[in-house]
Amino acid sequence: MTAHADLARSLRGVTAWPSFPPMPLDIDPAIIGAEFDRATFGPVTADELTAFARALGETRPEYLEDGPGLIGHPTYCVRFKGNKFYPESLPKTIDVRRGFDAGKDIVFGVPVRPGDLVHVVCTLHEIYEKTGRTGSMYFVVIRFTMSNQRGEMLAIIDNRFMHR
Amino acid sequence: MILDLHLHSELSDDSRAPVEAYLKLLQRKRAERPVDGIVLTEHRQFDPSRDYRALEDRYGLLILNAAEVETDYGHVLVYGVNEDILARFDFRDVRLPAAELIAEVTRLGGIALPCHPGRATVGLCAHYQTKPPLAGVVAVEALNGGSRGGEDARVEELIARHGYKAFGGSDSHLVSFVGVCATEFEAEVRSIEDLVRELRDGRYRPVDFRPRRSAPRA
Repeated sequence: MTAHADLARSLRGVTAWPSFPPMPLDIDPAIIGAEFDRATFGPVTADELTAFARALGETRPEYLEDGPGLIGHPTYCVRFKGNKFYPESLPKTIDVRRGFDAGKDIVFGVPVRPGDLVHVVCTLHEIYEKTGRTGSMYFVVIRFTMSNQRGEMLAIIDNRFMHR
Repeated sequence: MILDLHLHSELSDDSRAPVEAYLKLLQRKRAERPVDGIVLTEHRQFDPSRDYRALEDRYGLLILNAAEVETDYGHVLVYGVNEDILARFDFRDVRLPAAELIAEVTRLGGIALPCHPGRATVGLCAHYQTKPPLAGVVAVEALNGGSRGGEDARVEELIARHGYKAFGGSDSHLVSFVGVCATEFEAEVRSIEDLVRELRDGRYRPVDFRPRRSAPRA
């Protein structure tokens, strides 16, 4: 019996999850939208682009075949972040040690091409609370705005993390 | 007339469902889910500028706007949201006082109704175990498309004890769930004012369009 199976068995029939006491989140509005980090990566190589596409199971030649037509898969930019995970201004109420990735929203720009530099600007985009079956949760949304050396937008990625 | 009174579109942080996709699916599944319209109840927000009239015309379905807010008695659907209600309450606050919300929304021309009351932590039943019953509750969501085992059954007891009216909604966050639970009204509902009036004083009942599971083989 695996640990996972043990856990699943122990949770069977649980109808009321332990409730986490809600703590009001006091946010200084000035921290929202503030840039807290920037970084530059690259130049991107053709091998990196094709390896990423292969890992996704892509079959389209524009993502796989080296040559003048090679472009990065649209989600390639999710590889990049800043050097700091969160800004220091994050409210201390949020326990950043407990949480998980709660998804990404991506606005696609121009494709990444071999030789491109990827400039990443990190801003604290949003913090909010919500309540659910398991209690109160805090969500932190970090926006990564990515551009290349020509100043073209590659992607805007809103990365959502849940904490409690 | 049948309306799905509780669903979320991509404007809610936990849904990626475009409104038009809901309408396309309802058109395709008309025989299984004969819903005449939907009421969008985005989480913790209400945008009065949303205008879905073009989609209404294209698909022949009614689209109304409402909100799902979070209170000290769990989640509550607010219908008939107007400027006065928005000025009175910050919908982003996850600790809104339910008693005040219900009374004030009524006074200001809307109606606030607890949703998924059988749900742990965010449902009315859980809060009634430790707090006094709320005054002014007209109806509760007796059928919720996102309910897990036992949650809707718990609501039957709540309704029997307090004499609440019952309505239904899919609580859909995914396109495929739209209209699985809904509310059948005796009267026509053509506007949010009609809906508020009918929810307060009209006759309606929850309807369940979820596919029945076949009995397990012996």
